[in-house]
Amino acid sequence: MSFTSPVFLGFILFFLLVYYLLPRRLQWVVLLAASCVFYISGGIRMIAYLLITTLSTYLAGRLLGWLNEKGAGLSQEDKKLLSGRLRTQKRLTVFFAAFLNFGMLYVLKYWDFTAHALGRLIPGSNLPVLNLAIPLGISFYIFQSIGYVVDVYRDKYQPEKNPFKFALFVSFFPQIIQGPISRFDQLAGQLTALREPNFDSIKYGIQLTMWGYFKKLVIAGRAGVLVDHVFNGGTKYDGSVIAFAVLFYCIQLYCDFSGGIDISRGIAGMFGIDMTINFRRPIFAVSLTDYWRRWHISLGTWMKDYVFYPLALSKPFGRLGKFTRKHIGGTVGKIFPTSLATFIIYFIIGIWHGANFRYIAFGFWNGIIITSSLILTGFYSGVRKRLGISDQSRLLRVFRILRTAFLVFIGRYITRAPRLLTALSMLGATFLNFHPERLFDGTLLTLGLDKGAIITVLAGIVAVIYVELLQERGIEIRKSLEKRSFLVQWLAILVPLTAIILLGILNQEYISAEFIYAQF
Amino acid sequence: MDELLRILSETCPGIDFENEKALIDDGLLDSFDIITIVSEIMDVFSAEISVEDLVPENFNSVQAIWALIEKRRN
Amino acid sequence: MSSKKWIVIFFLSIILIFAMVAGLNILVDPFGVFGDVLMDWYSYNITMNPRVAKIKYLDRHYEEYDSYIIGCSATSSFPVNELNSYYGASFYNMIMYGADMKDVELTVSYMLENYIVKNLILNIYIDNGVYYDQGEDTLTNNLHPKVSGASRLSFYGKYLFLNPRYAISKISSRRRDTYLPQPFDVFDISTGAYDKRARDAEPIGSLDEYIRSYPVFADYPEARIEMSQTDYCIKSVLTIINMCREAGVNLTVVCSPVYKDYMAYFDPAQVADFYTKLAEITPYWDFSMSSVSWEPRYFYDGTHFRNAAGTMALARMFGNDRVYVPEDFGVYVTKENVASYLETLLEVPEITAENYTARVPILMYHHLDYEGNDTTTTTPETFEAHMKALRENGYTAISIEELVSYVDGNGQLPPKPVLITFDDGYLSNYELAFPILEKYNMKATIFIIGSSVGKSFYRDTDYPIIPHFDYEQAREMVDSGLVSIQSHTYDMHRWQPFEKGAARTSILKLEKEDENDYIRVLKEDFLKSSAEICENLGIHVDSLAFPNGQYDILSQAVLTDLGVRVTLSVERGINTVIKGLPQSLYAMKRLNMNESIDTDKLLEALCS
Repeated sequence: MSFTSPVFLGFILFFLLVYYLLPRRLQWVVLLAASCVFYISGGIRMIAYLLITTLSTYLAGRLLGWLNEKGAGLSQEDKKLLSGRLRTQKRLTVFFAAFLNFGMLYVLKYWDFTAHALGRLIPGSNLPVLNLAIPLGISFYIFQSIGYVVDVYRDKYQPEKNPFKFALFVSFFPQIIQGPISRFDQLAGQLTALREPNFDSIKYGIQLTMWGYFKKLVIAGRAGVLVDHVFNGGTKYDGSVIAFAVLFYCIQLYCDFSGGIDISRGIAGMFGIDMTINFRRPIFAVSLTDYWRRWHISLGTWMKDYVFYPLALSKPFGRLGKFTRKHIGGTVGKIFPTSLATFIIYFIIGIWHGANFRYIAFGFWNGIIITSSLILTGFYSGVRKRLGISDQSRLLRVFRILRTAFLVFIGRYITRAPRLLTALSMLGATFLNFHPERLFDGTLLTLGLDKGAIITVLAGIVAVIYVELLQERGIEIRKSLEKRSFLVQWLAILVPLTAIILLGILNQEYISAEFIYAQF
Repeated sequence: MDELLRILSETCPGIDFENEKALIDDGLLDSFDIITIVSEIMDVFSAEISVEDLVPENFNSVQAIWALIEKRRN
Repeated sequence: MSSKKWIVIFFLSIILIFAMVAGLNILVDPFGVFGDVLMDWYSYNITMNPRVAKIKYLDRHYEEYDSYIIGCSATSSFPVNELNSYYGASFYNMIMYGADMKDVELTVSYMLENYIVKNLILNIYIDNGVYYDQGEDTLTNNLHPKVSGASRLSFYGKYLFLNPRYAISKISSRRRDTYLPQPFDVFDISTGAYDKRARDAEPIGSLDEYIRSYPVFADYPEARIEMSQTDYCIKSVLTIINMCREAGVNLTVVCSPVYKDYMAYFDPAQVADFYTKLAEITPYWDFSMSSVSWEPRYFYDGTHFRNAAGTMALARMFGNDRVYVPEDFGVYVTKENVASYLETLLEVPEITAENYTARVPILMYHHLDYEGNDTTTTTPETFEAHMKALRENGYTAISIEELVSYVDGNGQLPPKPVLITFDDGYLSNYELAFPILEKYNMKATIFIIGSSVGKSFYRDTDYPIIPHFDYEQAREMVDSGLVSIQSHTYDMHRWQPFEKGAARTSILKLEKEDENDYIRVLKEDFLKSSAEICENLGIHVDSLAFPNGQYDILSQAVLTDLGVRVTLSVERGINTVIKGLPQSLYAMKRLNMNESIDTDKLLEALCS
């Protein structure tokens, strides 16, 4: 059941009614039931993986909780004696939970890639290719559950005792497919709270959902047609056309992903649940680091808390830091270990996107840009000082935003092209074979979208950027709307709703009469 | 305390550490800065700071960081 | 407003928008499923959605018909008016593009139950052995649920919440609607057939020219097609036969012509299997392969034969010997003869172009004068030299009547035919040319401008012009048996320098002129011209020389409508006329004659 299917809307409406009509103490059960229905609708067999993750992390959480209690209850002397052993037991528990879940993820997502890659590297190695279907949202729920296990290990909070409540935390339907990756302490309490219908949050939820559908259906759906058309055509297109398609891909990707998240958060909002944000207007990022703080935030935070910090503060990295400071010295020596950790993080984020060399390349691209910009920070500030440009300069900000957009844009070539080599040759075409006049001679109309659709995409993204600009300036659009007249408020419902219904939902493949009756 | 301020302004020049109370929440320090600062602190003050300590509350102000150092100093 | 109110308004807005979309789709009805109350535009609806829109149309008009011809798109080319006269019935052409035999079976069953059906012609195309029960879920190829028995809820739901672009497109098409069919209204409402007036107004000449216009014939795409559905198709045909027998319907089965390169897609064994199985259950008229299949000019495109070929097929079926039909076109296949027939089916027939095509040069003269020196004037001496040379070189001057009979298959042409024509009707034609024609016994056709007959001054002015002969002089020429008088329009050949506003100097629509006004003017002009000629000279006018040689598809189509068989342009060239193809008489090319052309040049031009 995809977010964009009519059945899904009926599903939401039904469970929303049940949720607010049943006794409050059953509300979390309704959510669990809805989550089960939602997940099973994607294929009953996939639920096995979900159960493995839920059960293993639940048990790991309980075990860790027990070990924590045991540690807290120890007398001062026993602590000295036993803390080492307790720590080993806790570590083993985390290790087993992580190994089981990430191992499962690896086999499902990366096994075939490994088999192929090894087959190419070592001709004799014949690892079997499994062709396993990847369960919906598996990387999201595994990340979320492992985050929970680690948090319990760190004794941040008590583990959940009720396995069904825990299952709801893992499988909460608005987030299970594409995140955001929630934190247990942030989400679980909300899921099981007793709620009176709150019309404000229902309204906000609907508004956010509408905005998500607008981005997903009206903009991303259209843009994707052109993107597919050009990327299926490989390198036969002119550089300018390829660049235009990549621009559309950036639009598509952002609108599709952030739109999906808005729908998730909006639906959760209708149930009175405030889910963590995942995007904070990445269009206005001033650096690639800033971009990754604004794009897919929950993944970035997860990586920071559970990979980057432990890695950077680990003993080997500590030793490495001492070594580089002593032997390299200066800025480079100081930031070298942290840069290395950063690099590893982006490498992992690259692989997280999918099993392919081009995602690895994508990770490298981000890692290289970010670490090199760290090293160049001093140089840049020197240049700025010499040119007399203030750090607060608006022009500088615009320049940085454009520079970041450009770097992201280049990175998108790598993720969208079917193969890494194709990406490179398309990138080459963009720089070596760029004919801007192609953008105006009608070529664009041969890429699967008509004029109206291209204008819709461009107008749509302008609207998105405008809204985000207002948000960036701290204007609360929905709040300020409430103060306007009835007519304005109604139009604010009607216009986007009409756009979504006419340009999104009812936008079945249109065949013009001319096309229906081809040539006879 | 002065030593800490020196480390901080060396790592992230241009931030008013003495008065800023929401270094993390306002996004003035990012994870990269934190790691750089923490490894410096561990070196200079020989404080044992672990991953569990890396929460915003401990890094939002100089006072908070100082309190953390005090707590973890052996 | 409060959040509660906001939520209520939100849901009401959703309902409002969907209601408006549904309202738009019902009122505009782009696929003709709701009755099309606003526009009642069946030619559009049938184009978009033939199966459903035709049923919708017939539900209201079935009393006007008592006979049907049914099948896929090729079925359209059996002309309904000819069926009507052969059968003495009132036919409707139930073609449904892309129809498979399941569609046909269900539709026949529905028609037998609900309409008056005396005669039914079932047309089978080779594709019927390839596709069966496609179960189309598209917007355009659905059967009406009344016919298919499918769920009405999902059927109407689909059209109720259509993409509104379909409705908008229908509205904007309405404004662009024209006299001739456009891509959005390709059907003729009252016959149900494709409206081929535009394609049938295109002049046809040599094979080379035709292939240049329709390159598919030169470069036919290659493919192999499996006839995997033969048995299902035959089963449906049998059901149709049984239904017709029970209902007492006179059923005729025909197999329509297949272009040879298309037939090459199929495995001969599978083709033989298809036709054998068909013959086992019913006798049928087979037109699928013959010399016609080898002549691209009998086809509109790679898979659809022309209405002209349909005319030939019907003439064969009904033994009409006034219509040209190639010897080998059409065989009545039965259980008994099918085996021997199939042996020859895929063999290359003997095709001799001379048997059904002829080269016909047409000479174009205007004024004769002793001092001829412009591009349209000839001296009597030169004209006489031309006539003499033609005679001595074995050319026979023919009349337009002979040309038409040749194309109709009712007469042969002499070995070296030539058509001599004069435009405008100058007095010099009577005074100078006529005596020479008589001397050499040469036939000629003069195209007169109705409004300037007998005139020496430009219409309504005192500007002197070259004098024109009058009807008395014309009658004298006609009475000789050598000269025919035909139309050069009544008054659509004005001369701009003598006019104030924009004058009608040719037969074409004026800029900014309303299309309907133009068609009315053109029709009135031609009818006036032909009525006057008929009244004064007793001649039936069926030819027209285009003023300045200018024409377009619209003017040609209107003239065809008026019964004009031959039109003449001024494009230089020699014509190829083809038996059975009236279009080979359209916008015929001519060789312009004047003083600068000596007999050598003339003879050379005739051979070029």
